[in-house]
Amino acid sequence: MTASERRFRDYMHAFNASDWDALRRFYAADVELVIGNGTTLRGRDAIVDFYRNVKSWTSRTIEILDCFSDGNMLAAELESEFVALIDAPDFPSRPMRRGDRYYINSFALYDFHGSEYRRIRAAVFRREFRPLTGDGSI
Amino acid sequence: MSAGPRNFRAWFEAYLAAFNRADFDGFGAYYADDVIFHGQAALLHGRDAVLDFYRMVRARLDEQVELVSFVGATGCRRIAAELRTTLLAREDWLDMPTGAMRAGDKRQSVNIVLYDLHEYRFTQVRSARLWPQPGTPQ
Repeated sequence: MTASERRFRDYMHAFNASDWDALRRFYAADVELVIGNGTTLRGRDAIVDFYRNVKSWTSRTIEILDCFSDGNMLAAELESEFVALIDAPDFPSRPMRRGDRYYINSFALYDFHGSEYRRIRAAVFRREFRPLTGDGSI
Repeated sequence: MSAGPRNFRAWFEAYLAAFNRADFDGFGAYYADDVIFHGQAALLHGRDAVLDFYRMVRARLDEQVELVSFVGATGCRRIAAELRTTLLAREDWLDMPTGAMRAGDKRQSVNIVLYDLHEYRFTQVRSARLWPQPGTPQ
């Protein structure tokens, strides 16, 4: 595993732990992130604020299915699981009700310089929505 | 077909060059017999199915693919490519899977494509569309 691949695993660990201070350190000041629905976020604060907001509605974890790097670019295949903690009609991907689950299989590219990500773009390969059934417990 | 880490990108660029000049034997040689191909317009199984599909497509439109970014995994086991595709319709194709085109219409899209390899043959190709697409408002 290369240093950039190890750093990427640390980055995802910080994300899954909601360690916002640690996460912020992975981004260049002028980082640009385009998420799967085309929303573009610019700057560390915009990205961290966005994720913090998403995690106030949902429990989100990201699993790295694969990652590899080449020069100053890293590619990753990711699987994200969202579990709605509350009713979230304005959730970015689609309206969700408490307990609904949403899976995304995505591909992402990370341009980096040194230890900082400068440009990230993600594309969704597959989505799966699993509405809650039964008594409403998560 | 010979390739190694030193010329992995060049090997892939030769695939795209063959694709762009509609050299079906040339780019077809990159596919495993039982390749699984998840394109934007079709899910196909096997080299023959992929080539038949592209022969049908090329009869109706010109397709050019440009390599924007390339990430090759160690051991040549996988490629992540950011590809810009330009379609130019030669005739009306109103039931085209990714949206109707009329003769003379030009359309661009950008995708992240993951290629799984075994012995320098693509065993699986998966394409995920990046948003926003060229020409669409952010």
